[in-house]
Amino acid sequence: MTARAPLELVCPAGTPAALHAAVDAGADAVYLGFRDETNARNFPGLNFNRQELEEGLAYARQRGAKILVAINTFPEAGNPGPWRSAVDDSASIGVDAVILADIGLADYAVRKHPGLRRHLSVQAAASNPEAIRFYQEAFGVKRVVLPRVLTVAEIAALNKKISVETEVFVFGGLCVMAEGRCALSSYVTGVSPNKDGVCSPASHVRYEDQGDRLVSKLGDFTINAFDEDEPAGYPTLCKGRFVAQGRASYLFEEPTSLSAARLLPELMDAGVTALKIEGRQRGRAYIAKVTAAFRAAVDAVARGEPAPDLDLGAVTEGQRQTAGVYDKTWR
Amino acid sequence: MTPKQRTAPPFSPVLLAGLAMRSLPPVLLQPALDAAMTAIRRRRPGLFDRISCLENPRFLIDPVDLPFAFILVPGPENPSLRALRKIDGDMDAEDATATIRGPLLVLLDLLEGRTDGDAQFFSRDLAIEGDTEAVVALRNAVDGAEVDIVGDVLSLTGPFAQPARRAVDMAGGLFKRAHQDLEALRASVISPAMRRGKAQADRMNKLEDKVNALDRKRRKAGAGKA
Repeated sequence: MTARAPLELVCPAGTPAALHAAVDAGADAVYLGFRDETNARNFPGLNFNRQELEEGLAYARQRGAKILVAINTFPEAGNPGPWRSAVDDSASIGVDAVILADIGLADYAVRKHPGLRRHLSVQAAASNPEAIRFYQEAFGVKRVVLPRVLTVAEIAALNKKISVETEVFVFGGLCVMAEGRCALSSYVTGVSPNKDGVCSPASHVRYEDQGDRLVSKLGDFTINAFDEDEPAGYPTLCKGRFVAQGRASYLFEEPTSLSAARLLPELMDAGVTALKIEGRQRGRAYIAKVTAAFRAAVDAVARGEPAPDLDLGAVTEGQRQTAGVYDKTWR
Repeated sequence: MTPKQRTAPPFSPVLLAGLAMRSLPPVLLQPALDAAMTAIRRRRPGLFDRISCLENPRFLIDPVDLPFAFILVPGPENPSLRALRKIDGDMDAEDATATIRGPLLVLLDLLEGRTDGDAQFFSRDLAIEGDTEAVVALRNAVDGAEVDIVGDVLSLTGPFAQPARRAVDMAGGLFKRAHQDLEALRASVISPAMRRGKAQADRMNKLEDKVNALDRKRRKAGAGKA
C-alpha cells in the first residue's frame, strides 16, 4: 500500500484545558463555541469567553493547529445580535473558520467578513449534492460536515458530485435524528439543540436511585431504568427505553457511541477531507485519550497500514460502540 | 434530599484506611481541608467562575469508601469544604443542591482531570443525585481548571515543596503496590463465588431464552386465531 496525506483530525474542546489536551494529543484542528446559545453545546460551565478564545488560538497556532468556532444554532427570531456578534468576534480574533448552520447568518458572514472561511455545520443537515452546491454557491462554503445518515458508499458518490471538502464524524455521541430538525428535546423540555444549543438540558434531567436500579428522567418523562450493573447512557429521548405492548425496549437507538475507526481507509478512499470527534461536553481526559488514539490511527492509515484497534470502549456511552449508518446492515 | 449510600465501596487501601478512621472526629480534618481550599483558591482564582450561573450551590461529596462525606460551598469569594461523619447521620440532614458519590480515587481523578466524568457515570462508578445542572457546571469548572491537588497544597510549604513532593510520590508508589496486593487478594477470595454466579447466570439466560420462545409461540398462536 502507498502512503497518502493523512486526513485532518478535528477535535472538540469545551474549556481551555480541553483545548490544550486536544492540541497536545495531536489534533490538526480544534472546534469550540462561545459561552452562550450560539452553539450546539450550550452547557452550564462550558465553552469559551472571548479572551479564552484569543489565548486558545495563540496556543493552537504555536503548535500548528487550527481553531474552528461553531456558531451553529439558529438565531432567535428578532434577536440576531448574539449570533452576529459571535461571527464578528471570530473574524476579529482571527480564527481559521466558523461553522455555521443558519442561511441568514451565513449570508451575514459572507457579506460582512468575506475573508472568513465558512464551514457548514451538521446542524444544516445538507446531505445531497444540490443542497451542498447551494451553500457553496450562495455563501462560499468551503467544507460541509455531513449528517450521520449516509453510508460510506453514499459519501463516496456524493464527493464525486461536489467540489467542497467534506468532514465526517468518526467517534462520540451518536445523534440518530436529522440534526437541526429534531424536536424531541423541545417537545419535552421546551429547550432544543437547534435554538438554545442544548439537547436534553441538565436543568430538566433527574437521576433517581431506586435501590436496585437507576432511573433517568427528562422533564416528566422516564427515559430509562438501568439495572445495578448495567452501563448507563445519556438521558435523551432518542436513546430512551420505553414500554410498548408490555415490553421495554429501545425504540430508536440504544445507548451507544459512534466509532468508525476501522472504516478510516474506506473514508479516505471515499474522498473525505476531515474526521470529526464529537464531545465538546466531555472532560479533558476523554479528549486527550480519543485524540491520541485517532492521531495514531489516522497516521497509520496514511502510511498505508491497516486501521489499528482503538481501546476506547471505556469512554463510550453505554460502554458500547457502533459504526452507525456508515456500515448500514439493516436496509 | 436524603441521599442514600448505594454504590458499594471497592476493596482498596482507602476502604481499610477509612475503617481505621471511623472514630476520628471530622473537626480534626478541617485544618487540612482549609489548607487545600486556600491553596486551590490561590493557584486557581478563576476555578469557580464557571459556576457563577448557579445560586448558592452546596455539593455533598460522598466518597463511598470513607466514613466521611464533604460539603463543598464553591462561592467565588470564600469557597469552603467541610467534613462530616456519615455514621452520625449528619449527611442526611444536609440540604445539598446535589450529591456526587463514588470511590475516593475516582473523585480525585475527576478533580485532577485524569478521568472523564461521563465515562465514570456510564460505568456506574459515579452516581449523582439532585440538581443535575449544578453537577454539570461543577464538573466543567473543575475539569477546566487543571487542578493539581497535591501540587497546590504543597505550594503552601514553600521551600519544602520539592522534598514533600518526593515523599508524596514515594507514598503513592507504596499505595499503588498495596492496591495491587489487595486486588489480588480480593480476586482470590471471590473466585469460587464468581464461578458459581456465572454458572447460575448461564442457566438463567437459557431459561429466559426458553420463556421468550414460548412467549413468541403464544403470540403467534393468538395472532392466528384473530
